[in-house]
Amino acid sequence: MKARIQVVACRSCTELPELLDMDTLMDIDPGRELVVSSILVDRLCDSKEIKRVVGEARDWEVDRVMVLACQKKDVNPALLAAYKKAGINEFMIEYVDLRDEVVLPHLSDKNAAQAKAEAKASAGLERLLMMEPLEKAVESMRTRNVVVLGGGASGRKAAEIAAAQGAHTIVIEKSARSFKAPGVIMTNSSLLGAKGYGGNFVLTIRAGEKVEELQCAALVVATGGGWTDLKGPLAKACKSAVPLYKLHEQVQGGAQPKGPIIIADTPDPGGKNLAIQDFAWDETLELAIDLKKRQPAEDVYVVFQEMRAFGLSELAYKDAADLGVRFVRYDRSAGPKIDSKDPGKLTVKDLAQGEVISIPIGTLAFAAIPANKDNEGVASVLRIPMSPEGGVRRGSIQRWPVSTPRPGIFVCGSAMFPKSKDMAEAEGETAGLMAGRFAMSGSIEYGGMVAEVTQEKCSACLTCVRTCPYDAPYIGTAGKAEIRTQACQGCGMCVGICPSKAIELKGFTDEQIAQETRTMLGGDF
Amino acid sequence: MTERRPKVVGFCCEKHGFDSAVLAARSGRQYDVSVRIIKVPCTGRVDGIHILQALEDGADSVFVLGCLEKNCYYDTGSIEGRKRVDYVKSTLADLGIEKERVEMFNASSTMAWKFPEIVARMTEVARRLGPIGKGGGDK
Repeated sequence: MKARIQVVACRSCTELPELLDMDTLMDIDPGRELVVSSILVDRLCDSKEIKRVVGEARDWEVDRVMVLACQKKDVNPALLAAYKKAGINEFMIEYVDLRDEVVLPHLSDKNAAQAKAEAKASAGLERLLMMEPLEKAVESMRTRNVVVLGGGASGRKAAEIAAAQGAHTIVIEKSARSFKAPGVIMTNSSLLGAKGYGGNFVLTIRAGEKVEELQCAALVVATGGGWTDLKGPLAKACKSAVPLYKLHEQVQGGAQPKGPIIIADTPDPGGKNLAIQDFAWDETLELAIDLKKRQPAEDVYVVFQEMRAFGLSELAYKDAADLGVRFVRYDRSAGPKIDSKDPGKLTVKDLAQGEVISIPIGTLAFAAIPANKDNEGVASVLRIPMSPEGGVRRGSIQRWPVSTPRPGIFVCGSAMFPKSKDMAEAEGETAGLMAGRFAMSGSIEYGGMVAEVTQEKCSACLTCVRTCPYDAPYIGTAGKAEIRTQACQGCGMCVGICPSKAIELKGFTDEQIAQETRTMLGGDF
Repeated sequence: MTERRPKVVGFCCEKHGFDSAVLAARSGRQYDVSVRIIKVPCTGRVDGIHILQALEDGADSVFVLGCLEKNCYYDTGSIEGRKRVDYVKSTLADLGIEKERVEMFNASSTMAWKFPEIVARMTEVARRLGPIGKGGGDK
């Protein structure tokens, strides 16, 4: 059947007619008679215009549409909804971004801009002709469970907020300690395995002696930091040393730590793997100022390799110095030491003075905390990435704020990197809200532009299985690769890497990309 | 005779890569008109064959623009993209084609200055090297 195309152009987006000659541009299909309807509107965001455009599409029985306007994200969603109602598949609509690719960046070269716009329009048309209608499917979630891994500050908060959304929460805590949280609390438990995808996970949980299966819609990783194991020579030599957050809590609780108070960056100054977290400096400076204000008579030392006080923290750095906090900068070659025979003193070579100084220890706190060792197991089970410091890594900033790259799995608190209780709780709140809403949405939409395997070509080399960050490809019963469509995010990484060219990404096939490139290169600009 | 315009093809990922181009345009930056943006969902989708075909079809230089490697929307996509580009570069060296013609870049969606810089660099390469196999552009 011959394609019936509608071309819609928005005068407002393309800032016409100063730069582009729209009448020529609309006439992109000479001789082929595929374009049955072609409309130039003043403002495509206007609901009246949308009505007119879609009405015409219906009259002419078009089956595909090319929109010459701005980028897809900025086109009024009402247009898409109206086309959907008129029975046009959402994947049969091609958006050609003339505004950002042609008009705005090439204001000074009218002829070239016109040629480029024409090439873009015909490339869009070629792409559109190769499109096939794709359908999205809906799968309902089997449960409304939100599983929270970890019953610390952030985990408890996440459970509370997720429960307030109406989700059923299950907190899995590895220790035996008791705490309050809504829903079910499983102590002495840990995560052993996970299957499935966002919306329908099946977890294997070790609960005490038993191993159980647990279904859930969303998951919050709140495993916390490695607070308990302060490792390194300094922590070993000074038994009374505490992490910074603990000192913070003590001071907030009204305790007056014994002076002189030393805040050092890390218990392992010569270590290679223990990076000092940037955040630690804000908290260090804040606490040093607080201590100096509360106990002006006591000496407060900050012993560090590199002060990373960025932005407004720089003011805090200055304030702390003005208040009389002593900053001792050291070099790795002559880091702070505590003699085990005389554990009451910390010796360090001050780079500013060039001399070795010795500070009697009243209270010793460390700003840098190692990452939780459990993270590794959790990350490998859930197939989420880790940061080089050993924390669970957040996904791209374009996704949700506390999300991992995998949909339905959220991360909060010190599991990412050590942070204060307030921060952890705030993140827990966000993660709880995200997970709760995700679980309460009740269904997941999937399909559309996803990967598909041509099984005859597959040589079952497992390359796709290894490459996919979402665990979507697997080797099926036929001994060939298959794609779990519900998990596929449509990135096409497996498509590009498949050595047998057995996988295809719908909507971005090799032919489509090649044809688009060819048409664009054919233009004279 | 007018000066021959270079032809530059840019495979941009739909997430950060294309967004940086859009931001550049919207913050009023102008760049060379000769760039042809081809949108792909992720730079991991780019296959070596796409780049080679573009060169065959008349492109003087090709760049691939993805997310920052630590902040990729699809987590490892831009790392995969870089691997493909590196592979193509090694193939080009075998074919006797200048490997500077193909390059991989990373940008985040907030880097408005990056896209014009990339275009300037790749058009400079295209002008300097001229069409493939014809030997020397305007020196």
